Amino acid sequence: MSDTSERITLSVNGISQEVTTAPSRSLLEVLREDLALTGAKEGCGVGVCGACSVLVDGKLMSSCIVPVGMVQGRAVTTVEGLAAEDGTLTPVQTAFMECGGFQCGICTPGQVVAATALLRECPDPAAEEVREWMTGNLCRCTGYYSIVAAVLQAAKAGQGESD
Amino acid sequence: MSPALNPGAAPLSRRAVGDAVDRVRGTFTFAVDRRIEGTLHAVAVRSVAPHGRITSIDAADALAVPGVVAVIDGSHVAADDGISPWYGENRADQPVLAIGKVRYVGEPVALVIADSRATAEAAAAQVWVDIEELPHVVDPVLAGAPDAPQLHDEWPNNDSGTWTLVHGDAERAMATAAHVHTATYTSPAQNHVPMEPHSATGAWLPDGSLEVWTGTQSPYVVRQRLATMFRLDPDRVRVRGDSLGGAFGSKIDLRLEGLVALASRAVGAPVRMELRRDEVFQSASKHAATVTMTTGVDEDGLLVARIIDIVWNSGAYALQTPRSSRTGMIRSPGPYRIPHVLARSVARYTNTVPTGPFRGAMTGQVCWAHESAADEIAAELGVDPVEWRRRNLLRDGDAFATGDVMHEMHYVDLLTAVDDALTADAPPTSSTRTRTRRRGRGVAAVLKTTRTPTRSEAQVQVDAEGQVAVRTSAVEMGQGAAASLAEMAARRLDMPAEDVSVSWPDTGWTPFDQTTSSSRTTFATGLAVERAASDLRACIAQQVAQPWGITPDQVVHRDGCVSSPGDPAQRMTYADVVRSSGAGELVGTGRYETPPGAGRLDPETSQGNVSVHFHQGVVGVEVEVDTETGRVHVLRAHGATYAGRLIDAERARKQIEGGMLFGLGQAVMEETLYEAGQMINPNLSDYQIPSLLDVPLTSSTVLSDADPDAEPHGIGESTVPPMAPAVANAVHDAVGVRIRDLPVTAEKVLRALREKQADDRKN
Repeated sequence: MSDTSERITLSVNGISQEVTTAPSRSLLEVLREDLALTGAKEGCGVGVCGACSVLVDGKLMSSCIVPVGMVQGRAVTTVEGLAAEDGTLTPVQTAFMECGGFQCGICTPGQVVAATALLRECPDPAAEEVREWMTGNLCRCTGYYSIVAAVLQAAKAGQGESD
Repeated sequence: MSPALNPGAAPLSRRAVGDAVDRVRGTFTFAVDRRIEGTLHAVAVRSVAPHGRITSIDAADALAVPGVVAVIDGSHVAADDGISPWYGENRADQPVLAIGKVRYVGEPVALVIADSRATAEAAAAQVWVDIEELPHVVDPVLAGAPDAPQLHDEWPNNDSGTWTLVHGDAERAMATAAHVHTATYTSPAQNHVPMEPHSATGAWLPDGSLEVWTGTQSPYVVRQRLATMFRLDPDRVRVRGDSLGGAFGSKIDLRLEGLVALASRAVGAPVRMELRRDEVFQSASKHAATVTMTTGVDEDGLLVARIIDIVWNSGAYALQTPRSSRTGMIRSPGPYRIPHVLARSVARYTNTVPTGPFRGAMTGQVCWAHESAADEIAAELGVDPVEWRRRNLLRDGDAFATGDVMHEMHYVDLLTAVDDALTADAPPTSSTRTRTRRRGRGVAAVLKTTRTPTRSEAQVQVDAEGQVAVRTSAVEMGQGAAASLAEMAARRLDMPAEDVSVSWPDTGWTPFDQTTSSSRTTFATGLAVERAASDLRACIAQQVAQPWGITPDQVVHRDGCVSSPGDPAQRMTYADVVRSSGAGELVGTGRYETPPGAGRLDPETSQGNVSVHFHQGVVGVEVEVDTETGRVHVLRAHGATYAGRLIDAERARKQIEGGMLFGLGQAVMEETLYEAGQMINPNLSDYQIPSLLDVPLTSSTVLSDADPDAEPHGIGESTVPPMAPAVANAVHDAVGVRIRDLPVTAEKVLRALREKQADDRKN
């Protein structure tokens, strides 16, 4: 690599991590190859398919186009960091299971992270808002119907919790 | 056994529910997530020329990059007596690395092996390949011209497969027809776009055997190819697989496995490869095709004769084309009763990405022709297109173009279900039909043969803990194979499906299965699993019958237990039975094989028994066409298929509805484009696939056979091919223009609308 390595510290799923690497490498590659967090996937490599979705300081991002140098000192949440430590699933994860919101499941981590970000921003979205928001997450198997159903069900479940 | 390739306690079987939890948590291991300690990484240096002679490869700069271990190219391969580098299903025309010549942009020319993928990628850009360019050809029709550039010396005229089908005397019958229609329909190269890119890891073990972990649909085919390539007994090659993140035909036959085996052989360590998205586009393609169809009908609109000429673009290498182009030809008359058929098919090499099977393989291209033609013929006759189909669709007892006497034909019912659905839930049109937006409806039907002959083997075993495991080499790729196979075994054993685990494929451990493709798994592998489970059930009954003083067929099986009908005290769990047997485990075996002679066709006329059963699908859509922009919006789609014995209604629905959205991409947006012999859109920005905003309202009908002994039919492909012609037929219904070249883009519709306006003004 032509870039010289730098020491980069970041928080991943609440754990402080230090990696020594070229700052231009993608966050996705560092997560998958250096930190063994393979939940986020590389689908397109150009930030259009959503398979690599993560939260950076709570904000939805495509980790395949985020240079790891840009997340120095910031908090990254990957799909692996969503469920509780005891394994309890989030309402979004539960809804994806119950609605069968996947077939092969390769895009599911990205869908789950994107849906989580949506519901944090907009806890009770209309179906149209779900479609609009989730359109950045491509799926080649399902036809998307069950994904929309899962997000709407998760929203309902989340409402139930806060009531 | 190499410790490197056996990472810890890697699970060898799985259960559907546990898998689902891992999938939503991001902890499920797909093929691309498989990591093996101590592997090196290989990246391919790819041809930038569509056709040329390799004059030199200079790897000195790449080798000087810290972390690079080796660079190998075709000259190393050709010089190695232990390697037979050329492969292919029907003819060995493809080199594992280019030898002397390149035939398409993206062809692997060299492999850089390094301690990380990033290093290998950086170094690959510093391998200097000199190519003396030759004239190239990308159009298969032009590739057949006498002066066309020739890709393979051994295969003249760029011929990668020539076939004919002769049923009756079509030319003579055509002369008697009351009405004759002829048109040419073209469909482009497209990419499968599995969201998971291809990956594989290969290692040579100290005993000289080869082990490969790979994301493949066909583990046993890969094993055979590797055995041939490296001159090994097949038992010395072990192919292990994980679940796939989609495949759609792109992960059939040899993909990266030869390359990683080659790289590992060169460096003496395990080597892994994973493709970037542009490389996925450069690795496999759907066959582009040109289909000219001439159809004769009598005064009542009944089909009399059909003459079909097909030119397939096989890309630079044939892979399955010499066989599959014939399969496509056989399906080209469509699901109709036609007394006289003549079909001629030729596949041609071109300097484009090599082709392979593509969901509903070799069927979308011909379905596009016969279903567009169906509507055109009906329009010329002044008959409703649904009614015209109803008159001509195959029914039980009719002869298909191969001479097969058809059985289990449900086309008329499927068509009725689709037509009813389109009519019944019509959305209000008066308020939304504006001056510039027009709505129309269209239907299309498809017939697909299944893989014949074919063979699957399975084992079902129960251990002393009562754990039931299904062993097959079927591949889970999102179609739900694991869940369906578990369910089929569980029903035979009268126990809950949740308690049955299903193996990953591992040719060292799981029995033979031909391939996971052609919608054959639920049918062929499923029947083998059922037979294995029945065998195990009989084995369990055998164990208890004698001590209980009854015959094995009197033993009652329920909820994973056996009991004696007359004596409630005589009751044992399957685990108890295994323990008392002292055998450690009880194993049932099963096998499904198509009947002898099935699939054997006359070499000249293609007459014979082509398929053990036929996949039947009908799709109907309603579209809205914006006459100012030409944009086609598919508002709703209804798909119908016949499932034979249905295993799971929910999974069937998902296959049908997901299949229609997959087909929608082919209908209105997907096409790999070439300029100067180079694919110019090998990425998901320029090559768009359907997103959530493209999704129509969707519904489905599954017809099935309630007989518990009926054959299950595959249903994963039967709503994909009809989408494109259904959309084109709906566009014609909406605005009166006929698009005969896929995809039906806004640009083509707009141009056709303008031509129509100009014509209308003239008249």
